[in-house]
Amino acid sequence: MVPTNIKNFDTLVVGGGIAGLQAALDLGDQGYKVAIVEKDASIGGKMIRLSKVFPTLDCASCITTPKMSAASHHENITLFTYCDLTSLNHEGQGIKALITQKPRYVDPIKCIGCRQCEYICPVHVSDAEQGDFSARKAISIPFSTAIPQLPILDVEHCMLCGQCEKTCPTHAIDYFQKPEEFIIQAKTAVITTGFDLLPVKNNFQYGNGHIPNVIDSMQMERILAPHGPYNRVLRPSDGMEPDSIAYVQCAGSRDKSMGVPYCSRVCCMYAIKQAMLLSGSLPLADIIIYYMDIRAFGKGYEQFYQNAKAMGIEFVKAKVARIDKGENGSAIVRYENQDGSGIATADHDLVVLSMGMIPGWDPRSICPVSKDSDQFITSIKPKISPVLTNMAGLFVAGVAAGPKDIVDTITESGSAAMEAAKFMSNSHMEN
Amino acid sequence: MSPQAKRQENKILILATETCAYPGADSVGQAHSTYPANTYILRVRAPVLFPESFYFDCFRKGISGIIVMSCGEECPYDGAYKALAKRLDAVYKKMKAMEIDLKRLRLTAICTVCNRAFLKEVNQMDQLVRELGPPQLEA
Amino acid sequence: MSENNKKVGVYICYCGGNISDHVDVEEVRNRVEKMPGVTVARTNMFMCSDPGQEMIIEDLKSDKIDRVVVASCAPSLHEATFRGAIERAGSNPFIYDHANIREQVSWVHHGETATDKATLLIAAASAKSKLLKPLEPIRVEAKKHTTVIGGGIAGIKTALDIAQKGIEVALIEKLPILGGRLNSLDRLAPFGEKASDILKELLDPVLNHNAITIHTDSKIETIKGYVGNFSLIVTKKENNKDIKLNIETGAIVMATGSVSYTPLNGEFGFGQHEQVITLQDLITLLKENKSSGSSLEVNGKRIKNMVMIHCVGSRQIPGIHQPKENGQLNEYCSRTCCAALLNAANQIREKFPETGIYEMYRDIRTYGRGQEELYEQASKNKVVFMRYEADAPPVVSESNHSEYPLKVKITDSLTFNEVMDVPADLVVLATGIEPDNVSDIASMMKLPIGTDQFLLEVHPKLRPVEFSITGIFLGGTCQAPMDTGETCNAAGAAAVKASALLSKGYIELDPFVAEVNTDKCQGHGACIEACLKEGALTLTEVKIDGKIVKKAQVTAAMCLGCGACAAVCPKKAIDINGWALKQYEDMVDAIVSDGFAV
Repeated sequence: MVPTNIKNFDTLVVGGGIAGLQAALDLGDQGYKVAIVEKDASIGGKMIRLSKVFPTLDCASCITTPKMSAASHHENITLFTYCDLTSLNHEGQGIKALITQKPRYVDPIKCIGCRQCEYICPVHVSDAEQGDFSARKAISIPFSTAIPQLPILDVEHCMLCGQCEKTCPTHAIDYFQKPEEFIIQAKTAVITTGFDLLPVKNNFQYGNGHIPNVIDSMQMERILAPHGPYNRVLRPSDGMEPDSIAYVQCAGSRDKSMGVPYCSRVCCMYAIKQAMLLSGSLPLADIIIYYMDIRAFGKGYEQFYQNAKAMGIEFVKAKVARIDKGENGSAIVRYENQDGSGIATADHDLVVLSMGMIPGWDPRSICPVSKDSDQFITSIKPKISPVLTNMAGLFVAGVAAGPKDIVDTITESGSAAMEAAKFMSNSHMEN
Repeated sequence: MSPQAKRQENKILILATETCAYPGADSVGQAHSTYPANTYILRVRAPVLFPESFYFDCFRKGISGIIVMSCGEECPYDGAYKALAKRLDAVYKKMKAMEIDLKRLRLTAICTVCNRAFLKEVNQMDQLVRELGPPQLEA
Repeated sequence: MSENNKKVGVYICYCGGNISDHVDVEEVRNRVEKMPGVTVARTNMFMCSDPGQEMIIEDLKSDKIDRVVVASCAPSLHEATFRGAIERAGSNPFIYDHANIREQVSWVHHGETATDKATLLIAAASAKSKLLKPLEPIRVEAKKHTTVIGGGIAGIKTALDIAQKGIEVALIEKLPILGGRLNSLDRLAPFGEKASDILKELLDPVLNHNAITIHTDSKIETIKGYVGNFSLIVTKKENNKDIKLNIETGAIVMATGSVSYTPLNGEFGFGQHEQVITLQDLITLLKENKSSGSSLEVNGKRIKNMVMIHCVGSRQIPGIHQPKENGQLNEYCSRTCCAALLNAANQIREKFPETGIYEMYRDIRTYGRGQEELYEQASKNKVVFMRYEADAPPVVSESNHSEYPLKVKITDSLTFNEVMDVPADLVVLATGIEPDNVSDIASMMKLPIGTDQFLLEVHPKLRPVEFSITGIFLGGTCQAPMDTGETCNAAGAAAVKASALLSKGYIELDPFVAEVNTDKCQGHGACIEACLKEGALTLTEVKIDGKIVKKAQVTAAMCLGCGACAAVCPKKAIDINGWALKQYEDMVDAIVSDGFAV
């Protein structure tokens, strides 16, 4: 059935992470009506889930929340969270998107975000928002700074005890909520679908995620976050304070065997940043970064790297060949030593895999926009305007157009907003 | 007639910046972390607004401790943090001359999710004002 | 506490138990009702609901109240909601204050103390509200015109973007031609587009755009004014005569670009051996090279062994590298040289297979899309990579070898620190990027320059293309090293900010700025000294009762609203609208009163 509910906007922004928020704000500030469609329950994307950000070491939340809040209060911006994009095509002179609002089982109009449902819910579920290191309830607001402040009932784990429904002061719980389809018609679209971390489970030589205390870098972000799962730095298997922490760089990047031949651009810097934060909270711990090349190319990055070296963080040029389970929760890292002494091994209490970035969205069978061999959206004019795609009126920004850091993402989003605005000012769009 | 509130001793005034520390205090609330109730948080744009006399007036009025929760170096007003730090230096000098315990005034930076730092600051100040009692200044 | 006749309406929210489970809301209402100035005190299960908002609207319309205090959740959630309700009642939204009794009371305190604290926070908010006045956003007329300084790729792209949004642009370039550094480049890494084609694609529409006025051979003399209303004096050379131009403009974009690092005399043999050249020299050679043999020829000599040295004038470390005469060290990475060098190496190896290439590097930074492939291709092309540490750089010296004039000594960490002498007949230095010197323009506008000598943005993530002075933006390599694509993105980002700023013809600014009480002001000038924003406060002479006196005057468009001035005025004659010092004094009185005689 074709939905009859049609909403009209000037621009559809697909993805409500930092790239999408910036593009929406830059368009909204020019007077364009913007819809942000986000698959998660909250806007904010990967950035809101980080601890601190390089090279300024600002708290990530403090930089992201103002933009989230500005977008949510903006008179020209409408948020559609917890929505799936089913199709995105040209129609007439603009674009048409088919969207499905997934059910939260909570009435967004009645809910006042008081979390009484969450407090009373008896079911504890592993919390992916905290790196699976702590628990959330089967009905919960995803994280404290989430926008909107609406809980989601996790049907997979809910046991239908009815306690949330009874306790809700506004009768907002609706067990019978259904998915709702609607159409967004817009003159232009900006794709800001970001990235996922390459899953460790595909990484055979690093243990497929089965070695205790070998974690990925996003999990480390949660451990380091001021509102993280442990409130301090502990290793997950036994809660021990680690004395020796290793970073394995290019875990899944610059590696054809992992299907990721490209450089993910941010891993060097986030590893250095995490190492600095770690040495702040565990001043006596040994921190080693195994790397191929340190790519500290952005503004202030090289200085940041040199500071890390001066702080005593050890950099070892080596590609780690293998990681095995060690004694007492440790992990054994095997690498080729550069001084000619051959293969070396080292025992670490905690190993962080600097996993690479893969696209957060695949347009296949949804949208005819073309992808490059790296699976990110193709930029047809990488020099003059990297945000242009092969579809007229459809632009791309942020990691959707290839790995990049937050600074480059934000700039590129402004550029995409500019191109979209220009596209809409051209006379052929005036009617 | 309903009974009036009881007089509360040892009040702590918290000047919290609207971009950093004030949302930080809200974050503590969202986490339902309890802290002493003798704390009064005022939302401020930039604490550089307050002259030296403001702090002494507060002490004179019976405020036992003041925590200035700023944005620190992330201050959105260029130069305001430096000016604030300078002002408080002058306040400290006068406090010393007036024999007011310097620990009654504290300058700190609190971020929007710095729950632990917030709790540490208020608990420390609470402990202090409980030990010292209200400042004895002539009105 | 100041007395006035304001009628305060206080509305206290139960939040469906979130507040009322810990705060005795009705008790608070009873206490608040007795506070002086409070004419209405009501409670509601959900103040944010329509019925809750309706109560406020009703009371405002029937003139029972003229100030509003809502005690509920954090202001970040619903302050905007209640200001909206007030507007719907036909009142000014700034007569509102908020008491945060959920996040900062009921969720953190329990029992009687929670009720008492909620009462005092409302008393404080009510005291503050009595001194609130209706405010209007500050409207500054803005010229729909932007001045772009710098006619390289960043400036060209910015100018074109802004012009295509219907805003007039003056594009100012100090040289006789537009195009900047792209004029001297050849094939661009990593995809091999011709720099001249890229430039042409952007330049043609710029040259033909009605809204763009180009001023080449032009120098900025002065810049004055503030957002929406800047004025520039520019000297333009035309037919060997200097013409003075006046440009009135609403916004300014700095796109002043960069230059290539010039090695110090003797740095890797530069200036001492003619066979030591820079990457820019090599690119020029390749651009003009017509030789069709199997070796690259330079000055008629066939090159058999070329050594390329990375990170020259970049990633310099104090104590290891020699600073320039002015003490400057380039500690940053120049970002573009790795890919540019590999690109040149591949071109040479593919066209001139008998020219061997050694690349001596610290880290290969092929981070961008298509760049890792360049690196891989270089390996396939049999480029030999050797790695040196910053503290043991390669040494270029004369060789006594008959065929090779030079040798380069390196301790190669890729071969377990073996020390090697590589014979060379050409040494290419990958010289980095340095910002063009714009200290004169920067000092005119008080633009900050970082320790790396690049122009410094407000914040790399929050406001990456803005200066703290509203209406002045930056983009491209005047800010940091970047490649052509990145520069065009930065240019687009700067253009979008300028377009948004000027789209309406006027700019609306927050009304929370300093205001002078001219009756009280004695013209001491202490506020002006304390002001953090040059130009926001001035002393002006006015005539009162026939006498000329000095009074402080606020330029609202420039005021940050920080309050630094209010703190220092001996007469308390200046304060911040909406956030006045006097309001805080009254709030403190309310807090210490314990709700007795507020």
